[in-house]
Amino acid sequence: MTLLNTLLRKTIRGGVGKGRFIMASVGLSVAVILLLAATQASVDFKQLLYGNQQNGGAEFLVINKMITNENMTQKKALLFTPAEIEEIKKQDFVEAIEPVKASTFKVAAQSPSTALPFYTDLFFEAVDTHFLDIKTNEWKWQEGQYDIPIVMPNDFFDLYNFAFAPSQGLPQLSAETFMALPIKITIAGNNKKQDFMGHIVALSDRITSVLVPKEFLTWANQNFGDTASDRGAARIVIKVKDPSNPVLTSFLNKHHYSTNQEKTRFSKYRTIVQTVVSAVGGIGLMMLLFALLVFSLFIQLTIEHCKEEVVLLITLGTSPKQLQKFLLKLFFPIHIVITILCLASIQLLQWQLSIYLKTKNMIIDPYVSWLSIAGCCAVLIAVYMVLYGTVRKYIRIKA
Amino acid sequence: MLSSISLKNVIPTPLRDKLTQRPSQIWNTEVRLPQGEWIKIKAPSGSGKTTLVHTLYKLRSDFKGEVWYDDRSLQQLPVEQIALIRQQYISIVFQDLRLLPQLTALENIQLKNILGNVMYNESDILKMAERLQITHILQQQANTLSYGEQQRVAIVRALVQPFAWLIMDEPFSHLDINNTKLAAALIAEECTKRKAGFILTDLDDDNHFPYTKQLTL
Repeated sequence: MTLLNTLLRKTIRGGVGKGRFIMASVGLSVAVILLLAATQASVDFKQLLYGNQQNGGAEFLVINKMITNENMTQKKALLFTPAEIEEIKKQDFVEAIEPVKASTFKVAAQSPSTALPFYTDLFFEAVDTHFLDIKTNEWKWQEGQYDIPIVMPNDFFDLYNFAFAPSQGLPQLSAETFMALPIKITIAGNNKKQDFMGHIVALSDRITSVLVPKEFLTWANQNFGDTASDRGAARIVIKVKDPSNPVLTSFLNKHHYSTNQEKTRFSKYRTIVQTVVSAVGGIGLMMLLFALLVFSLFIQLTIEHCKEEVVLLITLGTSPKQLQKFLLKLFFPIHIVITILCLASIQLLQWQLSIYLKTKNMIIDPYVSWLSIAGCCAVLIAVYMVLYGTVRKYIRIKA
Repeated sequence: MLSSISLKNVIPTPLRDKLTQRPSQIWNTEVRLPQGEWIKIKAPSGSGKTTLVHTLYKLRSDFKGEVWYDDRSLQQLPVEQIALIRQQYISIVFQDLRLLPQLTALENIQLKNILGNVMYNESDILKMAERLQITHILQQQANTLSYGEQQRVAIVRALVQPFAWLIMDEPFSHLDINNTKLAAALIAEECTKRKAGFILTDLDDDNHFPYTKQLTL
């Protein structure tokens, strides 16, 4: 320390109101910890939500209109109009959109074997291949092809195996066997009828429907369907980056659309986490403001307490800048220490949390995010500005 | 740089009525104090000696008229400029001494020595202290010193910085004849070394210095 600083330190006694200073420092520590915790929690939660997603972070949602007692009798009301589809397409959260094409002809499925006899009326739907989660070379159809590849929902397979089959005394089937079963498909309409052989090429989790290649459905709708009344789409598939986006949920609710709740359930958690994080951050910010206020008062008190000395120093030729520099040196370093300690504590917590979450198969970064470090810098800048402003103001008054 | 100090029709507001009643070579007139002059201002108590010193040093601004440092109006100078002038061009011995009570005598002197460009090293300071016979009290806290000791510390303090002008307000009021002689000799030496002028106010006539100008307040 320079001789000037030593002499100034002896002259301007820093001891006054030390209790207040310590309290303000504790307040600042808590405020910084809360702010950092809020920032870090928000970063971690985001990482947990989107960190390990497949599909390049995209999700597919099938949405449809909610059926209510009022609209259940109006078939048209349950279909998406081109304007509605256009509106959905315009939303920021929608990356791609595909109406689910439905069959407008009658479909019957029947087992050709007596070992596993069944008969059922059925329906077909189709979407563009990009919207499917299956990988198979068999997913194609061209006119004249007798064989129709079909995608069944996994849920249907489970229902059959664990509910239907035991109750009817039918054998439970492995996925391989299920997919090897030939199914006789009869489509009918426009006073025509044609047989095909269908077989299941994949089980899907994405779209709860019986899907066939789009080419087949288009051909069959043209030849067997009720072309007079093109029904439009009752369901559409949208590709979204973030199914938990609260904006998406509120858009769906506002338009009375419904979708797979499972996929958007994080939206609710996210809203809760966001609220909690914002509340914690808000409290942190308030505490920071109070701490800054106390610091400002403390400096004012110190200068006021040493008023005579400060005035005399200035009278003797000490420049206000020299005094400002000295006072900032006196008050500011403690804040750097406090902020670094807080950051270190948050780092320790983050590290412990990452170890704990790993045991639960959840991965978060063991290091604090750069946002937290930026937050620390912002706090330090705010503290410096308040200290500088207060010191400058009160020294100038004395000068 | 600072060479001359000028007063243009300066009259302190609180003393206005009193001072306009009688003639003065300083108040309410134009006076220029050129560089290097050793000026004695003699005046009885209550005629505004300290007011003049404080006005020249910009400690008060309750006056009519203008004070100029060369071509710069004192009233217009910003605080940082004032600080620089007090570090480099004008030094002062206050009548009321104004030592920092928490510091020792030596620290009071050192503070002034290092505020701007360091002028003297510690051994120079010690030599000056020795000449004024205050070596033994240098480590004592200023508030424990007698007035005579404080006055000599204040004189040394004023001499350990660069200056073009030294302003002294009854600088020997607490000193005996012997100490006054020692102090005056040191002041004369330091002013000569710097080719500096001084303004000294006092109650009576004296021959401590070969004054170049004597003014009545």
